[in-house]
Amino acid sequence: MEYLSANKITIVDLGTSKTVQKELDEDLVKENIGGAGITATLYEEYQDEDPIILGTGLLTGTLAPASALGLITAKNPLTGKVCHAPFTLYGGVELKYSGFDYVVIKGKSQKPVYLWIHDGVADVHDAKDVWGKDVWSSTETIRELMGDQLIQVLAIGKAGESESDFAHVCINYWASGDRWGFGQLFGQKKLKLVALRGMSLLEIADAEGFVRECKELLSTIKKGPFAGKKGIGELTAAIGEDIGKWLEPIIHRHLSCFNTPVPTNTFVFLDEDPKLLKESEKKEPGFLLSDIYGLLGFKKLGLSAADACALLKECAKYGIDAVAVSELSQKAGKKKPDEIKKFFSGLKGALESLGKGKFSPWCPKFGLPANEWDRRQAVAYIFGIHPIFALMSPELSEEKLIELANLGTGLGFTSEILDKVIADISK
Amino acid sequence: MGIKVDPEKCVSCMACELACGYHRDDGFALLSSCIMVTRGREKKDYSAVVLKEEENLVIARPEGLEIRKLGSTGEADQGREKEDASAKPLLLREPCDLCSDRGDGPLCLQFCPVNAISMD
Repeated sequence: MEYLSANKITIVDLGTSKTVQKELDEDLVKENIGGAGITATLYEEYQDEDPIILGTGLLTGTLAPASALGLITAKNPLTGKVCHAPFTLYGGVELKYSGFDYVVIKGKSQKPVYLWIHDGVADVHDAKDVWGKDVWSSTETIRELMGDQLIQVLAIGKAGESESDFAHVCINYWASGDRWGFGQLFGQKKLKLVALRGMSLLEIADAEGFVRECKELLSTIKKGPFAGKKGIGELTAAIGEDIGKWLEPIIHRHLSCFNTPVPTNTFVFLDEDPKLLKESEKKEPGFLLSDIYGLLGFKKLGLSAADACALLKECAKYGIDAVAVSELSQKAGKKKPDEIKKFFSGLKGALESLGKGKFSPWCPKFGLPANEWDRRQAVAYIFGIHPIFALMSPELSEEKLIELANLGTGLGFTSEILDKVIADISK
Repeated sequence: MGIKVDPEKCVSCMACELACGYHRDDGFALLSSCIMVTRGREKKDYSAVVLKEEENLVIARPEGLEIRKLGSTGEADQGREKEDASAKPLLLREPCDLCSDRGDGPLCLQFCPVNAISMD
């Protein structure tokens, strides 16, 4: 696969700590396009070895608007179904530039390990320096060990190590879109984290055509209904939950994921003046809100915004799904931050909010019928578009994404091929 | 004439960095870009946009603009102790040429989704 691709898949066997690399077959791309189309195919190929597949979409890491998506495909430990969870911020782009389009992680390690994927190299390392540490300390330790603060880290905390049903794979210090308990799978495999960094170059079949089309798309998006919208408060308002006045006093800044036109994340300061412009002298002044439903869950318990965000920070450090924590706390009648935090260890119960589909319910439905939401998510997960932004932006139509894919790769994708891939991954 | 960055509008999406990288390499890469978003202080939510010009390193921080004169080796001549380590590779790269061969102006400006970049 020559274009928009590193042209490589790595297969990591945690049982032997060996990695094997193979080319990304162009026929595989022609038939499955990319992203979830290929991670699902790779899952089937290696299903006897209980794999976790990491991947990026065909357009991830390009100038296509919102090309931020990385994804994890694996068997949902709670439902037994093969599902997809997104990771955004800069995780998708670092995987894409790491020299691998897809990573198959199979088998189980006997001792704790981590995976370091960078510049065309994928290595299994002893995790003695990070096992037992929380997500924040683990991210910091790995970045210090490698001497690079830009490494993106998919990590589990204590919840994953103890194989909790609600263990969450975090991205760096924050919540990802893992609503499936994929952290439990990491824990079962004794995989503490995956560190990602890359500096490769993606070639483009029709470079000028691709960039011209991206520019026109962005220009249209900038005139669209979500232009100028910022932060998690706007997203919750769009699903009928007004948190503006509640959250506003602690907001520091709104942040985008890679090349995403609308900032869907909001940084709050908990131990610092939110109006501070200079760099805080505090080590941990706040928290990045990247999960709408975790925040709403704690708000519904009657917590103040500061208490809710401080609990989200504790969830992220522990590596546990905040939605599960809030829902099960509600059921158990626990409403004080201290008692909720004590509840993390050994958290059990059935979740009503557990999604039944293939794509993580991290992304709100914005009032769409389920079948339309599913299709739009499938498209986002195939092409590598931020799943929330894909719903906000009708400008990123299937036709436009196919056109971009064709300009970028020269492969001749059609709407019929896309329909078939969506049908395949929706089975 | 040069590029002006409004750091209070910036949402740290890196579109400018990738657009500049494309201008340099005719492919998608971040290694040659002369504009970058420093992301090394993630836990503190502190970042800046750094631009390498012919003679200056322009650092657009939320609290204000800093311009450092570049020495003959391309190194900034002051304030190195305050440098975000993630910006160091920038010193080795080609300075901004305002995408002069493109005819339609700097690509970073065209790809900024929040209009944080303008011509000065």
